[in-house]
Amino acid sequence: MFRVAVDVGGTFTDCLVLEESTGELRQFKAPTTPSDPSVGLMNALKKAATAYELMVEGFVSQIGLLIHGTTLATNTLIKKDGAKTGMVTTRYFADVIEIRRGYKNVRTSMYNVFVPPYEPLVPRRRRLEVTERSTYEGEIVTALNEEDVRRAAEQLRADSVESVAICFLHSYAAPENERRTQEIIREILPDVHVATSHDILPVWREWERFSTTVVSAYVGPVVEQYLEALERRLHENDFGGTLLMMLSDGLVETVDRCRQRAVYLIGSGPAAAPAAAIYAGETAGHRNVLSFDMGGTSLDIGVIMDAEIPTTTENWAGDERVGIKMVDIHSAGAGGGSIAWIDSLGLLRVGPQSAGSDPGPACYGNGGTSPTTTDADVLLGYVDPDYFLGGEIKLDRSEAAEAVRTGVAEPLGMTETEGAQAILTAVSSFMADQISEVFTSRGLDVRDIAIVAGGGAGPVHAAFVAERLSVPTVIVPSVAATFSAFGMFAMDIGRNYARSYIASAEAADVGRIADLFQQMEDEAATGLQAMGAQAGEVGFARTVAMRYIGQFSEVEVSFPSGEVNNESLSEAVANFHRRHEELYTFQMPWKGTELLTFYLKATVQKARFELREAEEGDSEASAAQKSTRECVFESVAVATPVYDGSLLRAGNRLEGPAIVEETTTTIVVPPAFICEVDRQHGYVLTSQTAIASADA
Amino acid sequence: MASEEQARRDVDPITLSTVWHGMQSIAREMRHVVDRTAQNYLLAVLHDMAAGIWDAQARTIAVPEGPTSMFLSQHFAVEAILEKFGDDLHPGDIIITNDPFKGHCNHLPDWGFIRPVFYEDELVFVLLTRGHQLDTGGSFPGGYFANGYDIHAEGLIIPPIKIYDRGVERTDVLELIWNNVRFPEGVKIDNYALMAGLTVGEKRIHSLLDKYGKQVVLDCVEEMLDRMEANVRATITEIPDGTYFGESATDDDGTTLDEQVWVRCEATIAGDEMTLDFTQSDDQRTGFVNCVLASTYSRAVAGSFLFFDPEYSPFHNAGSMRPITLVAPEGSVCNAQYPATVGGSPVNVGTQVLEATVAALSQAVPEKAVAAWGRRRGHYIAALDPRNGQRYTQTTTDADGGAGAVWGFDGFEGAMGMSGLGSIQRGSVEEIEIRYPWRTERYHFTPDLSGAGRWRGGSGMVWEVRNLGGDARIATGSSDGDLTQPAGAAGGDPGPLSKMYIRRGDEIETVRTHRMIEVKTGEVLGKVSGGGGGVGEPFERDPQAVQKDVVDGYVTIEAAERLYGVAIDEATITIDEARTKRLRGID
Repeated sequence: MFRVAVDVGGTFTDCLVLEESTGELRQFKAPTTPSDPSVGLMNALKKAATAYELMVEGFVSQIGLLIHGTTLATNTLIKKDGAKTGMVTTRYFADVIEIRRGYKNVRTSMYNVFVPPYEPLVPRRRRLEVTERSTYEGEIVTALNEEDVRRAAEQLRADSVESVAICFLHSYAAPENERRTQEIIREILPDVHVATSHDILPVWREWERFSTTVVSAYVGPVVEQYLEALERRLHENDFGGTLLMMLSDGLVETVDRCRQRAVYLIGSGPAAAPAAAIYAGETAGHRNVLSFDMGGTSLDIGVIMDAEIPTTTENWAGDERVGIKMVDIHSAGAGGGSIAWIDSLGLLRVGPQSAGSDPGPACYGNGGTSPTTTDADVLLGYVDPDYFLGGEIKLDRSEAAEAVRTGVAEPLGMTETEGAQAILTAVSSFMADQISEVFTSRGLDVRDIAIVAGGGAGPVHAAFVAERLSVPTVIVPSVAATFSAFGMFAMDIGRNYARSYIASAEAADVGRIADLFQQMEDEAATGLQAMGAQAGEVGFARTVAMRYIGQFSEVEVSFPSGEVNNESLSEAVANFHRRHEELYTFQMPWKGTELLTFYLKATVQKARFELREAEEGDSEASAAQKSTRECVFESVAVATPVYDGSLLRAGNRLEGPAIVEETTTTIVVPPAFICEVDRQHGYVLTSQTAIASADA
Repeated sequence: MASEEQARRDVDPITLSTVWHGMQSIAREMRHVVDRTAQNYLLAVLHDMAAGIWDAQARTIAVPEGPTSMFLSQHFAVEAILEKFGDDLHPGDIIITNDPFKGHCNHLPDWGFIRPVFYEDELVFVLLTRGHQLDTGGSFPGGYFANGYDIHAEGLIIPPIKIYDRGVERTDVLELIWNNVRFPEGVKIDNYALMAGLTVGEKRIHSLLDKYGKQVVLDCVEEMLDRMEANVRATITEIPDGTYFGESATDDDGTTLDEQVWVRCEATIAGDEMTLDFTQSDDQRTGFVNCVLASTYSRAVAGSFLFFDPEYSPFHNAGSMRPITLVAPEGSVCNAQYPATVGGSPVNVGTQVLEATVAALSQAVPEKAVAAWGRRRGHYIAALDPRNGQRYTQTTTDADGGAGAVWGFDGFEGAMGMSGLGSIQRGSVEEIEIRYPWRTERYHFTPDLSGAGRWRGGSGMVWEVRNLGGDARIATGSSDGDLTQPAGAAGGDPGPLSKMYIRRGDEIETVRTHRMIEVKTGEVLGKVSGGGGGVGEPFERDPQAVQKDVVDGYVTIEAAERLYGVAIDEATITIDEARTKRLRGID
């Protein structure tokens, strides 16, 4: 039997196959097919079938579990080609999603007023109001006017909308009016996708909830169509296993549930990287790691403490606020295709503009003339122009040189090599800066972690970034090139639940909290059984978002398992005080606290899998050396040994400078590092200066 | 001389870039800590606060996002503190001040917390966090109370004094302060939040200095200032030399009623220098609209920043300010002297300084014209919450109209308060209902409440809230625009007038800005707020854009015809091409 993870990205569809009997992992890549991504997915499976010398049906029928991540929902949103969407909302509040709490410059400076105004996904003409009103205590103070709803439905039909978002004030506390509205809409518009705000995000704050619901409605029909096509194709190829979708919150879900809650697929794909980092980190004995996923256009950073996947509810997807809990990935515009340029202050900058895959970096020879990170990598000798993706793509060194010379070296009065070195230094320091800001804003010290590098460009650059951050260890897993797909294997199966109950901790009704957790646990048990879990296997993790009375932002802290009583509540309060100090340097034990939203994460222990161990060797690696080439480190050219990764054995030890080439990735070991091959054929790079200072 | 020094500096471009971005990210982190921990609506939701870094010569190094009034002039405050304390500054000190005259604050509610940062026994940087407090004493909770007799009626005045001395809290001093404000427990939280921002900032600055060394960092700072100066000078050079004029008025000064107060700006461009001269503005007033010089300076400089290259708008520092000279004679409403009242100045006269500057520069560079935004429509409520029997004070900006247009783009819908330039957020209806005994009954755009133009202003709003708590006393000092309008630019119309009312059953009473009003239990406070000004001639607006606005209910058919010269067929809501041509005088 096979276990398969497929990650459909913007450019490539990555497919990772685990043969369960041997624990052997194999990686396949096929171009993504944007018009119907299920075609590209099937192509990747066909490549895999060929490699196993099977017909595609034969291969597909042997897949027990297929986990699938896709950027489809994200891309639909970013490219704004989602469904024609309407909205039914509380009378006099139709503009909430356009007022959007006054946010103007989401990514630009306030001193830049020359920005195009925000265009909501649902234009005002399709935001229809109905009479109804509830309070935060769940009381319906104005009954739903069903005639209004029918009129709205008719108007949306006349406008031929494909999707409807139902968004009422305080529906997290009083969902009845949204439910009734949904019934009526379904009656009148049976073929239209419907999303309700109490279902998509049953927590308080209307703009965040409405915006998230509108996003879900907007991408919903595209996602539904895709899932239908995918299931059909798999079915046609004799698929009999379980298909699970990888969600933005780092969990996996059944296809049925995703259909109605499409927003949970925003960020699917990259959100799997931290799970891969946790796996690779634990293999090497590290529970605090940085997931460093560097692809063609961006660096995705995830901070992992104590092997926990970090989540946040403060996301923007493009111009839209998405308030669901998502894996906390910070994306910075630094990738292999990022363009180096001189700004108006005379400073060298790299990104966020990217040459993408078309035309791509100058060295691709497809007409790109701007110097990119990859061009610098070629000139510095790190990337062999004849062995990029194992030789699948030939790179042109002279194009890279020309681009770096005209774009960077000449304007800054440098030689070509100095220009390439400057690009590398600029991109490394930009990445280091971003990482450092992410860490300090969480009250953490970056030096306490290990970097786990993945993505096409990650293994080339991670050690340079580690050097700048004084991080002693860089781990490059054997599956670095299909990092997110590997994360999907390593992820838990489960669901997140949330319920708002706003009360001071001192005066809270403990019985009500117990009920909320019980409701969520019952719902989870039923839901997870639908995914094939046994009742006893489901594990629960409780958290609560709290704040000091009077504050406006909350901090999520763990809530004890077991019976909910005054003791467990006090423990949660104590957790809050401590966490507040960790995050913000002070706590206020003299001040009362407030409970806001209770969360439950229900998971099933992930099915175990064993990766095949690499062949053992000793520390001597010379047998794997295939050549020597000149590489530049800190502006100095050094004759650098190049190793064939496939010939390296577990236990082999390389001293930097060294280059390790595998078909899908290149690992750069700078002079200050030593590199050891671990038992799963990953690479552990250790800074010698860090070791020296630890010994001292 | 300069080039000699520059040569000696020899900063490599990569270190420079790293230090520069590092400084900005430190300022952002300081703000983040305050944002996340504060308990006061103005700080945590509206973000009426900011954080920044100055050097030992009081030069501005990094100012992140935040209301314009808070920061661009705070070198005045840092200078005053360096001068006052001289050698008596030590690691671990924190200085507080809210004094407009001795500490260069806008008005008393904005408390600044200042920390000198030492490295190798030398003062190298000065950090400042500042934010609007829940209360500062005075006649009425919160702030913006019109008609105080003098500055002392507006609240507790704290000159620059130490509240931490070498790491030790001066608890007795803090107790004196907190004993003189309402809601001391809340103010205490916010004070600790603002100080936590300093703690985080200092830690980060130290690690930057550890990494690169003091001299390298200081050299980078010189380079950062010089490069911004050179850039701003280059931009100013592109503006045609000459003198340009802009003016703007506020409804009244809250004491002498219905008499408008004028701010007038003469912008002179000569080569690579810009002078912003406010000499023609009205004299200092009895009422609460007076700006101190620092307040005028920050608004005027912020206004000019909008005309510089947006690419480097995140990088402004003291270098950007060197080519700009500000003139405002003592005793003017733009340079008020003790004991002038200043409580309303961030909204009234402060906004006008920004508007007048932008109006003058829009004359100079019409292809970068910027219209004024919908006027602020805030207020401060003091009342009892029957749910817990406690007094509360509340403010809001939710009723404000939208942004002004700029050349090339319509005004940003929903963005509000020109003095915040979009860095200030609105509240959440649900959050407000949980926290205060008021229910929002209306909160939406309404047609024809924006300035017409080739690019129109952001829409105005209708906003109504019902009082479910005790009878409420309300100060409308943070409102403006009943009698005066935000200007359009380059031929665009101004944003419409606003109004405010109390509804008791069927009876409607109009109420006014800069007054005290009472909204009793069960009554409704309503606001109809004008949006932003337009840019460019309305008759040049793309008819398709006008038709779209009609379909979406931002503009009525009647206004499309009257203001834009676009005829819309009532039955089909499509453009009547022939009649539109006639209306626009096209053959």
